Amino acid sequence: MAEKNKENVSFRNVNENPCNMCMPMGGILALKGIEQSMVIVHGSQGCSTYMRRHIAEHFNEPVDVGSSSLNEKGTIYGGEKNLRQALDNIRKVYHPALIGIVTTCLAETIGEDIERITGQYLIDKEMEEFPIVTASTPGYGGSHFEGYFFTLKRILMQLTEAAEKNNKINIIIPNISPADIREIKRMLALMEIEYVLYPDFSDTLDRPFAKPYTKMSNGGTKIADIRSMGGAVATIQMGITIEDGISPGKYLEEQFGIPLYNIAIPMGVESTDVFINTIAEITGKKVPESMKQERGRLLDGMIDSHKYNFQGRSVIFGEPEMVYGVTKICVENGVFPAVVATGSQIGRFNQLVTAAVADCPEQSKILIETDFSHILAASKEGKVNIGIGPSDGRYLTEKGDIPLVRLGFPIHDRVGGQRLLSVGYTGTMMLLDRITNTLLENKYKSYRSSMYEKFYQQG
Amino acid sequence: MGMNEAKLQEILDQYPAKVQKNRKKHIFIKRSDVESQQIEANTRTIPGIITNRGCAYAGCKGVVLGPIKDMVHIVHGPIGCGYYAWNTRRNKAKSDDPKQNFINYCISTDMQESDIVFGGEKKLSKVIDEVMEIFHPKAITLSATCPVGLIGDDMGAVAKAAEAKHGVQVLSFSCEGYKGVSQSAGHHIANNILMEKVIGTGDQEEAPAKFPINLLGEYNIGGDGWEVERILKEIGYHVVSVMTGDGSYEAIKNAHTAELNLVQCHRSINYIAEMLETKYGTPWLKVNFIGIQGTIESLRNMALYFDDKELTLKTEAVIASELARIEPIFDQYKKICEGKTAFCFVGGSRGHHFQNLFTELGIETLLAGYEFAHRDDYEGREVIPTIKTDADSKNIPHYTAEVDEKRFRLKVSPEKLEELKAKIPLGEYKGMRFDMKDGSIIVDDLNHFETEEFIKVLKPDIFTSGIKDKYVIQKMGINSKQLHSYDYSGPYAGFNGAVKFAEDISMGFASPTWNFITPPWKNQPLLEGTVTEEGVA
Repeated sequence: MAEKNKENVSFRNVNENPCNMCMPMGGILALKGIEQSMVIVHGSQGCSTYMRRHIAEHFNEPVDVGSSSLNEKGTIYGGEKNLRQALDNIRKVYHPALIGIVTTCLAETIGEDIERITGQYLIDKEMEEFPIVTASTPGYGGSHFEGYFFTLKRILMQLTEAAEKNNKINIIIPNISPADIREIKRMLALMEIEYVLYPDFSDTLDRPFAKPYTKMSNGGTKIADIRSMGGAVATIQMGITIEDGISPGKYLEEQFGIPLYNIAIPMGVESTDVFINTIAEITGKKVPESMKQERGRLLDGMIDSHKYNFQGRSVIFGEPEMVYGVTKICVENGVFPAVVATGSQIGRFNQLVTAAVADCPEQSKILIETDFSHILAASKEGKVNIGIGPSDGRYLTEKGDIPLVRLGFPIHDRVGGQRLLSVGYTGTMMLLDRITNTLLENKYKSYRSSMYEKFYQQG
Repeated sequence: MGMNEAKLQEILDQYPAKVQKNRKKHIFIKRSDVESQQIEANTRTIPGIITNRGCAYAGCKGVVLGPIKDMVHIVHGPIGCGYYAWNTRRNKAKSDDPKQNFINYCISTDMQESDIVFGGEKKLSKVIDEVMEIFHPKAITLSATCPVGLIGDDMGAVAKAAEAKHGVQVLSFSCEGYKGVSQSAGHHIANNILMEKVIGTGDQEEAPAKFPINLLGEYNIGGDGWEVERILKEIGYHVVSVMTGDGSYEAIKNAHTAELNLVQCHRSINYIAEMLETKYGTPWLKVNFIGIQGTIESLRNMALYFDDKELTLKTEAVIASELARIEPIFDQYKKICEGKTAFCFVGGSRGHHFQNLFTELGIETLLAGYEFAHRDDYEGREVIPTIKTDADSKNIPHYTAEVDEKRFRLKVSPEKLEELKAKIPLGEYKGMRFDMKDGSIIVDDLNHFETEEFIKVLKPDIFTSGIKDKYVIQKMGINSKQLHSYDYSGPYAGFNGAVKFAEDISMGFASPTWNFITPPWKNQPLLEGTVTEEGVA
């Protein structure tokens, strides 16, 4: 549970314009990163339809997700029959290599035991080797952020074995963009290390146009690789804000004794340094010259922009891990994070952000479990002039005249959310440019008139 | 390449036997040499078959209630349901009083695990108090999500207590997602309560102007309703209320004062249309403001109903002036579209309505269908008495309107009504099948698998559908058009809408982007000339 105090948690009951989605949404995203997988949402079909709609609009990709289509009868007699039928039909039409089942409010409230149902199904069909993974993700159990990591952990619990030791590093990533995932893979290739990146939706949710169209897309973390994650040298998990209970890296550490390096998303100089150094430390490899050049170029750009950045007062909102990453970038560049907010209830978030903003000349306002009405009020109070986060922040622009740098998930009112590059030295530079340029754009809009008024009109 | 029974069977053969048997009943190839062709509709979707259908909550809160701008719509449930229905339907609304326009808000009780265990009634009632304090709305709706019904929260009792406390109407809708088989159940639930508790509570006895009408089943997606209202007002009609696009609680209360009800989306609102006739004696007319001819025909039918010389003259004058203005532009676009083919699969009425526009652009509709319609939307209202009520329909609370002794008034004499019915669709909808060509396919609850299979066989030039299909279609190299959200365009209704649609569809075909779909190395040599040892000659 999150640590609460009067400062950062609302005591209102109403949620006015939410800043988070529900658990099964995160479960779907996690499962989309597994090779040749299909997802079934066990519950009323509206859940599956709504979530597909939101994922498709962000990624601009086909998002095939099944539903057990429970109706009133299912709420009385249970949903076993429907779920078995859904498994039959998904297998027949999609021929997936793995099926993931996430639950909903409906399934959890009526107490569906999906592990038993699927276990029995596999026995009856004489296909006990077939991987079905399950995750209990009631909508009221947490936000999509928790759903994502919890599902990743559940997949490991059901697939990963005490494998023979290998030379690979497990890289566990949060909900970052396909472009970010590709950038991390590029960095890993530059470092010449062997790794299992988990999950990997860089192709499945950002598929190149190619003929003929196939129902299942290529890409995703290989099932065999997930099985062997128990034999890795180490785990690097970009999940510094998450609690141990939902931590896939912690599970690997406890179960298989794999050392866990729980780090922030490599956003900003320091966090990217940590990422690179951790790899170097684990493998003993040297940081390649080209990586050092990337870092140098980032520093050069930061110096070029610092005179504009210090005028920024930001509100940062969205999923805890991404918000923390952006906060680090803001702090490193003199953009004061006036408001740092998430809709999720994550215990470590408050503590981590507090530490990250400790050296700022003013006190930042940290909000957890919050909604946009509170974010807006805090932003006005904190004289914020730039917002950084998902597209729901457009509300801040409409009601508070705060320009928005769109980042994270979901981005619904602009294209290209899947192509936003914001990690590593190069990605940080690109995000910082978007921030700096948004500040400049707004400054240019009214600079002359406001200067004129300030210096000439008043006298 | 056309579709025939054998090819259809080939597609269905890929299903497991049970699924095949079921899906076969939801698909037919139009034949006009037989009197009737029955389709199965409004029955359960098969689990695991990837449908585009949503839930009762989506139909109730998302479709019917959501667009009413001056009520605060509270979603009682976990955060996801509220979030996912937040501004996703593009139903535009503008209010004279900006403080009474709540269209951009998502208000949720954000139920947590403890609320599921101990019940959510207290939290709901506190949320109502807070909403009253923050927004001061004239009325509130409460929409239930799946867990609410399961844990037994008595929303009705909470609503009643809140009404007594705050002195405004608080309406409770038991639209749990598992009710019925699709959004359609939610439409019905919303219709019942709007009829029972809102319509007729206004104190006007008569409309303040001549030719008062209600526009039912128009949700103002991309401004459709505004374009229709523009035309109606120009002719001289008085729009009492619109249900529910850009709709207002205050206006809906006086909906009983209309002399005629226009029904645009038959599926989502025919219940209210029927009940208005029973209760107040106001007939309803099926209109279709999608397409130039559809708009003209609807306007002329309305003029026939009111049978007023001046109104008829004005109707013709407006039609003539609008046509003179738009036809030259429309015809330019027609040149680009002529000879192309389309699939048209949308919710509950647009799958039929938009075929008008395609025909006018010279585009043939090869396949059409609805996500959540009933048999009458395909086969016509005459089949209604033969539709069996199944268990899924029975769990939708029943409501029948009774005659309002004080306000019931026949708007036209029974003789005149019969005479009119012979000429115009009063209380009548013939359904999609009636307007489709022989050999075209009608599919109910089309799913992703069938979408791909039908595209492979029929190779349409354009597929109009929603966002969940959009990227499948585009990945197959085919032009797509979202007819739920209009891809952030519109309006597509009325005269101006027809032009906008023609422009959007033409630009979709004409975009140079498509030229790169086939890579050059697939059909031509990469280099012109010959490669010699010194390079390219």
